[in-house]
Amino acid sequence: MRRCSGGACLLCAASVLLAACSQMGFGLSGAELHGAQLFDLHCADCHDETNPDLKKQPPKLKGLFRSKLLPSGSPATDQQVRKTIIEGFGTMPAFDQRLRDQDVDDLVKYLHVLK
Amino acid sequence: MSLRMLLGLTVVSAAITTTGCGPKPEQYSLKGQVLDISASGQIIVKHDDIPGFMPAMTMPYKVRDPGVLQEVQPGDLIAAALMVAKNGNYWLEDVRITDQSGRKTAKSAAMATHVLKIGDKAPDLPLINQDGKTFRLSDFKGKALLTTFVYTRCPMPTFCPRLSSQFAKIHEHLAKTPDDYNKTHLLTISFDPKYDTPAVLRRYGLAYLDNDATGFSHWDFATTNPTELRALADAFGLAYFEEDNQISHSMDIVLLTPEGSVAKYWSTDWTAGELEDALRQQARSAASTPSAAAGGMKR
Repeated sequence: MRRCSGGACLLCAASVLLAACSQMGFGLSGAELHGAQLFDLHCADCHDETNPDLKKQPPKLKGLFRSKLLPSGSPATDQQVRKTIIEGFGTMPAFDQRLRDQDVDDLVKYLHVLK
Repeated sequence: MSLRMLLGLTVVSAAITTTGCGPKPEQYSLKGQVLDISASGQIIVKHDDIPGFMPAMTMPYKVRDPGVLQEVQPGDLIAAALMVAKNGNYWLEDVRITDQSGRKTAKSAAMATHVLKIGDKAPDLPLINQDGKTFRLSDFKGKALLTTFVYTRCPMPTFCPRLSSQFAKIHEHLAKTPDDYNKTHLLTISFDPKYDTPAVLRRYGLAYLDNDATGFSHWDFATTNPTELRALADAFGLAYFEEDNQISHSMDIVLLTPEGSVAKYWSTDWTAGELEDALRQQARSAASTPSAAAGGMKR
């Protein structure tokens, strides 16, 4: 069995702490934090949970901008993600008139850091 | 527990009946005003913040004691225990009316109108479908009709997206048996006519029909003007309220006979299989009666 040295343990503890801080929203800008709250309220029900009664399982959005393409096949750009949020796509509902421009901006910012 | 957890609860609640032998449900204190009572036995409550659980909002709730439905009236202020089971069910218990003075001024659709009973004839109001075509429920004479209400921007996966997804499943199953397919019809009615134009409804419908527009011959997506819509919703016991660009609503599914009468209602406790079986049964039993056989099918 491998044992953790004192230094490595400290490193591990720091990593865990950093991960926890990130989970709690530390390290996020104000806009990203607002985006995180909006994500939790409007997006997470579908994109973080499994809803077996839905016709299509919505894609997970962690690392959305790491790929060149969105799950829809469109380019992974801010503009395209904004369009998807506002107009909807497929069975995803439109958020037109339900989110302000600033809300959408913050949501997109948060999606950039969602890992 | 966050709001999204609550919203996720209804997926399970539709399929599972709490038996009482599972873990104890969590209990929260709810205070609010009853806005309406749906025909399917849900009360629509505009409630205050529920500390530690969810912000103030308007939501439909099931009640465990059916006697409550006889006692509460729109406008009543109530206090209740919101029970949230581990399996996803949630409901109200210990509902107490704390103030009845709002009854007189409550403008409730349910109070003003008559909710159709089983066997009553459905109103024959004009609707506009995804192609911009005007039609009436009587156009489906000779077919068993399964209808429900949604709005396309509904973000709650356990409400409208679930309804449309399960209707899509029923549509796909029926398509495999042409006899039943030809004697049945599905109808999804939007209660958001401002946003859900025929073009929006067409796009929405295609998403649930795998982009096969021929499916519209068996499944219409429709809406109508706000006045007719309210009349139709009242007739079928649907409750809906618009607040801040969001629509709070009950879930209601209605099965109509080929003669256009109400055969059955469902709210949250149903499966696609149950709906499909009831629809097929209605179509087949009606087809075996001389009067239905004589009825023409216009669509």
